[in-house]
Amino acid sequence: MTLAVLVLLPFVGAALPLLADRLRASRTVLALSAALMPALALVLLIAPAGLVFDGQTVHAALPWVPSLGLALSFRLDGLALLFALLVLGIGLLVILYARYYLSAQEKAGRFFAFLLLFMGAMLGVVTSDNLLLLVLFWELTSLSSFLLIGFWSHQSAARKGARMALTVTGMGGLALLAGVLLIGQIVGSYSLGDALASGDLIRASELYPLILGLVLLGVFTKSAQFPFHFWLPHAMAAPTPVSAYLHSATMVKAGVFLLARFYPMLAGTNLWFDVVTLAGMATLLWGAAVALFQHDLKGLLAYSTISHLGLITLLFGLNSELAAVAAVFHIINHATFKASLFMAAGIIDHETGTRDMRRINGLWKYMPYTAVLAMVASAAMAGVPLLNGFLSKEMFFAETLESSRLGAMSWVLPLGATLGGVFSVAYSARFIHDVFFNGEPVNLPKFPPHEPPRYMKVPVEILVALCVAVGVLPSITVAGLLAVAAAATLGGELPEYHLAVWHGLNLPLMMSVVALVGGVLVYSSRNWLFRQYARLPEINANLIFERRIQGLARGAAALSNFLRNGSLQSYAAWLLTLVALVLLVHLSPAVLDGQRALLPLDGVSLLAGVMLVVAALITAILHRHRMTAIMSMSVVGLVVSLAFVRLSAPDLALTQLSVEIVTLLLLMLAMYFLPVRTRMESGWPRILRDLLLSVIIGGGVGVMAFAMMTSDFQSISGYFLENAKPGGGGTNVVNVILVDFRGFDTFGEITVLGIAAMGIYAMLRDLDLLSAPSDSLGRPWARDAHPLVLVTISRPLLPLALLISVYIFLRGHNLPGGGFIAGLITSVALLLQYVASGVAWVHRRMPGDYHPVVAVGLLLAGITGVASWFFGHPFLTSTFDYLYWPLVGKFEVASAMLFDIGVFLTVVGATLLMLANLGKLSLLDDKAKEGA
Amino acid sequence: MEHLIIAPILIPAFAGMLLLLEVRERQPLRRFTGMLSVLALLPVAWLLYQQAAGGEIQVYRLGDWAAPFGIVLVLDKLSALMVLLCTVLAVPALLYACRADDKRGANFHALFQLQLMGINGAFLTGDLFNLFVFFEVLLIASYGLALHGRGPARVRAGIHYVVLNLIGSALFLVALGLVYGTTGTLNMADFAVKVNQLDGGALELARVAGLLMWVVFGLKAALFPLYFWLPATYANATAGVAALFAIMTKVGVYAVARVYGLAFEQGALAGLGRDALWIMALLTLLLASIGVLGARRLGEMVAYTVVMSVGTLMAGLAWSSPESFGAMLYYLIHTTLVSGGLFLLADLVARGRGKLGDQLVAGPAPAGRAGLGLLFFIGAVAVIGLPPLSGFMGKVALLQTVPAPLYWLFLLGGGLLALVGLSRAGSTLFWRATGDGAERRLDRPRLLATVLLLAAAPVLSIWAEPVLEATVAVAAQWAQPQLYIDAVLGGGA
Amino acid sequence: MEAMVAVMIAVLVGTGVYLVLRARTFPVILGITLLSYGVNLFVFISGRLALDQPPIAGAGPSTDPLPQALVLTAIVIGFAMTAFLVVLALRGQGETGTDHVDGQRDDGGEA
Repeated sequence: MTLAVLVLLPFVGAALPLLADRLRASRTVLALSAALMPALALVLLIAPAGLVFDGQTVHAALPWVPSLGLALSFRLDGLALLFALLVLGIGLLVILYARYYLSAQEKAGRFFAFLLLFMGAMLGVVTSDNLLLLVLFWELTSLSSFLLIGFWSHQSAARKGARMALTVTGMGGLALLAGVLLIGQIVGSYSLGDALASGDLIRASELYPLILGLVLLGVFTKSAQFPFHFWLPHAMAAPTPVSAYLHSATMVKAGVFLLARFYPMLAGTNLWFDVVTLAGMATLLWGAAVALFQHDLKGLLAYSTISHLGLITLLFGLNSELAAVAAVFHIINHATFKASLFMAAGIIDHETGTRDMRRINGLWKYMPYTAVLAMVASAAMAGVPLLNGFLSKEMFFAETLESSRLGAMSWVLPLGATLGGVFSVAYSARFIHDVFFNGEPVNLPKFPPHEPPRYMKVPVEILVALCVAVGVLPSITVAGLLAVAAAATLGGELPEYHLAVWHGLNLPLMMSVVALVGGVLVYSSRNWLFRQYARLPEINANLIFERRIQGLARGAAALSNFLRNGSLQSYAAWLLTLVALVLLVHLSPAVLDGQRALLPLDGVSLLAGVMLVVAALITAILHRHRMTAIMSMSVVGLVVSLAFVRLSAPDLALTQLSVEIVTLLLLMLAMYFLPVRTRMESGWPRILRDLLLSVIIGGGVGVMAFAMMTSDFQSISGYFLENAKPGGGGTNVVNVILVDFRGFDTFGEITVLGIAAMGIYAMLRDLDLLSAPSDSLGRPWARDAHPLVLVTISRPLLPLALLISVYIFLRGHNLPGGGFIAGLITSVALLLQYVASGVAWVHRRMPGDYHPVVAVGLLLAGITGVASWFFGHPFLTSTFDYLYWPLVGKFEVASAMLFDIGVFLTVVGATLLMLANLGKLSLLDDKAKEGA
Repeated sequence: MEHLIIAPILIPAFAGMLLLLEVRERQPLRRFTGMLSVLALLPVAWLLYQQAAGGEIQVYRLGDWAAPFGIVLVLDKLSALMVLLCTVLAVPALLYACRADDKRGANFHALFQLQLMGINGAFLTGDLFNLFVFFEVLLIASYGLALHGRGPARVRAGIHYVVLNLIGSALFLVALGLVYGTTGTLNMADFAVKVNQLDGGALELARVAGLLMWVVFGLKAALFPLYFWLPATYANATAGVAALFAIMTKVGVYAVARVYGLAFEQGALAGLGRDALWIMALLTLLLASIGVLGARRLGEMVAYTVVMSVGTLMAGLAWSSPESFGAMLYYLIHTTLVSGGLFLLADLVARGRGKLGDQLVAGPAPAGRAGLGLLFFIGAVAVIGLPPLSGFMGKVALLQTVPAPLYWLFLLGGGLLALVGLSRAGSTLFWRATGDGAERRLDRPRLLATVLLLAAAPVLSIWAEPVLEATVAVAAQWAQPQLYIDAVLGGGA
Repeated sequence: MEAMVAVMIAVLVGTGVYLVLRARTFPVILGITLLSYGVNLFVFISGRLALDQPPIAGAGPSTDPLPQALVLTAIVIGFAMTAFLVVLALRGQGETGTDHVDGQRDDGGEA
């Protein structure tokens, strides 16, 4: 369990510097608080490390999401141990270094927090024993490195570099996720142990090429392999401690770590060889060649990093156990010398104020101590004997000679390797010679440079000492660690190998010599080379990438806006086209198989039908003549009401009629403000399209209607006819359904009405609308607002209308009528008062705000429903009884009637709320005009 | 407590009605009533969920009429989960709106409550026509809420939203006419039984009815090619409303899940429209992720992530295995809460940037840049589906249970496009800031509301197992429609 | 009779569809109204046609009452929606200065 704790320690540690920052601690305290947890983790690592050296693998597991196969399970074997040491060890050195690197103004607390997040993620990647967990930490490294690279967020380069790194590595992470999920499908488990043991199964699967492609996409993007290398140099916009950390031991090493981790599972096939070796070789050469031409110190180191990653990748690709050992060895060596070089570059940058090697010359005089450290590390990078880089490079050369996969072309590998070595020596020579010798400094922003603070050099010293120690005495220093790490990578027995400085006079040694001599020669002809290079077109990956992304975003916006073009007509057309498609595809003549006897058609009905058709067509054709359209539409409404009468639906006829009147009023009021006529706007293609849609949908619905009417069916309605009287206490079955059987629908329906009224009220409040000053023919509106005739007739009509409402309401339960219709009649009568006598007149006599009327109506309906709870029944259960009233006689009182009163009130309140406010609007408008 | 099942409808209904009675516009009183209602809903929804989780499907017979004659409410695991989710979302959304947004127009609180009534009703009802009625309740309330406040952009978007949904309602009625005209019933369970007894022309008509329902629900869920109304409507709505709307698309998803699961999972019309839904879902996913990349306002971007999630969910549904359905539900919970939080966050950012609002151009840093930046980071990571937050868990669950190459490609590729889009947006808003903006302090309750919703991302990730177990249990019940049918119609029917 | 009713429904739905596809709020309102007439009739006839058989219990043979109740609900809801749309159109006119459904002014600009 120590293992799980130790992996999670950096995450906990991330909070400490933030906390210290809150307390305004000094930078030293901040750095100490940041170092605390990694140091503790390193200490905790000692005990399990001992077990690993004894050949064991330490496991720790906590369940997390077993349903997904995701567990917090960790394993510490040799490979994980090696990486954990690098991550924690170099991490601590970087923290120490950063303490001096960051200036007092920087948000050091946040910096250390991000760094520790990253450290935790990296530690997680290398110790995960669960594939999904590995992907999780993998993506976390991308995310936290995004924050680190973009730490100087005020710099455009930092922002772009961070986004580029995140995009490229994020893409790789998604691919890796897909790959891992496929592996999980084949293996049946996401445990790393199971997966490693199922190498044969995976390699035999037909999904293997896909899995390999996906995993390698993850690896190559992370480890900056060609052609995904371009993000790495731009990640140099990060503060140098970040570069020293991310690009030596951690972030980019995650990719090659995965190659090592999955080696037993995926390696060993020709496909693996071809893809991995090729990518590695391309990266090795490209990176080494380009590195020489970088004038920026960190740029040189960045391309050198790319090149060395290519070397490691190439080694893994060779499908040879010895090569894998060499790869692991080079991972160690590269981490040490590259971290120290980045730190040295940071020191130089810090002391001179620039990283341009054309200006930084001759620093030997000013900072000899730093110069020695940097020169040793560079020599290690170049592969000079007695330093660690030499050892692994020798092994590399030897391995390229061994491979026979390419047959007659096998010489390509050692040739490429040697060529890479030549360039590697050349750029290392440049780092040493340009910076520390080569005349005097040119126009430095800070002059003269000094040695950095004492403790800023300590991390570099430690790393350089390691380079030398490993280089001189490999068997004492590194052999043990390398052995367990390599064994864990191969997942079995180690091959025979010797770590020694001297292997005798052999071909690899010759290659080393060629590389050293060639490198120096190349460097000495640098001026000519630089001139040639300067002639090449400049490629700024940052700019290109940014432009690509911007182009992509523009394209995306264009496509989105093409589809979502802001036109309701097009949206509606999409919707209706979908409907038309459904009808066209699925409506066959087969639906017309009904056997039901048809009803006779009488002349009056036919006439009404023709009227409806004509009126509807007129409405559609003359819709731009708005008054005509309203008139013809009301004819349609009237005929629909008549149809309901003819077809045995008196309740519907009454409702339709009263709704018709109110709608008409509403439209007339609205017309007051809308243009009376409009020009023709649709072109013929669109009109044809719309006609087509109309015909298909109209025709389709008509066919379905006919199909239904002509076929028999079984329905539940018999129940309603039987139970209306005994169960619901009324004979008007429609009304009993509305207030009883399906009273809940009605409850919802009046709520809709109430909400609509509220929404309308909200929209009309503080709306500024001015009507057109004249009608379509230019005639001004008549100013006599309230014609006397209308006033005289309407006022006595009100009580009469109210009486009719009561009647309609009361008979509703047994005969056509009911709360809704009564409510509408009352509303119409009241609205007539508005029309005839004006808003002001009515408001003097009526409550101005109809909200409470709606509310009381809804509450009444709701409370009636709840009341049934107290009799132990569900919501809206009705009860009824018969009362004997004097004069009236036997009279039925149903609780549903209370409900119906609620309906009545809601309808009246809602209708008036809508229309009275609309009317008020016209009043304001009149006043505005009179004032003007 | 047999009446508890109707409480999620009645509590907001009565709260809404009482709010209508309050005519003097006393904002504190209105806010208190509204908050009281949503807070009361929380324990109710939780209790109902607990009851449903026991496995028994509760049926509430309104008016005491037996199904299929009267209307019934049905509480199974799925409906209980949806009601709970809606309630959990509503609390922070209302809290946020209570900080002044509610004063920008009339009747905000009443509309908000009735909106909840409509949503909960749609989740609970077991009757198709009643579903239509509750759709109308939630729609008309959403019209009012979407138009709450002023501005031509909002009205333009509002007109589109309203007209499209009115057409949708008409189509729903056609479908209901066909349902009744062929099977003679409106009860969902009864329909599921009767539709399998049809043959000949009637069966063909029922097929059309089902497909029309998919169109209608697809419009609500915002599925390609029916999502075009969403970005403008959501991006222009006030923040609290936009956050609540995060569940509105899920009503559409729920409706498909409910009707499909009951009537078309097996039987005479098995797999009805499944392929079409699948294709539409994939296209939605693809086009919406392109939309995220191309968005020019943060609100619009978040709105497109909502559409993305609809594609993700609907594909998981159309795959129609119990496993994929369970994964889909986990993702549904995640995306609803996180997008809600992101809408609030977009508003917080916009407030801090003055005239620029949430446009994705460099400008002054919003007040509280570090904190907002962190929240944005969390929200973005979650919504893209990167580890270690809830989106990752949801995506892994879906990828594992929907093994279709095209889906994998679109889901992962869409994630990448969203990553590019959101990282650009975040970089522009929080990094490329030209000096600090007006140093106004962040409003604490608003921040709290945002944090509450975005906290879903880590919480759903840490406790992914119990949540997934729960959603898988919901899915298992959903996959056995007979349980529902027996509960509603009484075993013998 | 059935054929004529079917034709009526077809024409109402067809004209409704055509009008909702127009560019101004006013025809769209008309279209929605015509569409609801047609759809309401459609729901109504799902109970089949009957002459002179009002759904009054105990008064002889009766037509199917349920669709009538549904249509009644639908009419009311349709009325609420139409009213809302009408006022929304006014609001659009007020805020964007045009009755175009996309808020485009006649000069081609946006409000």
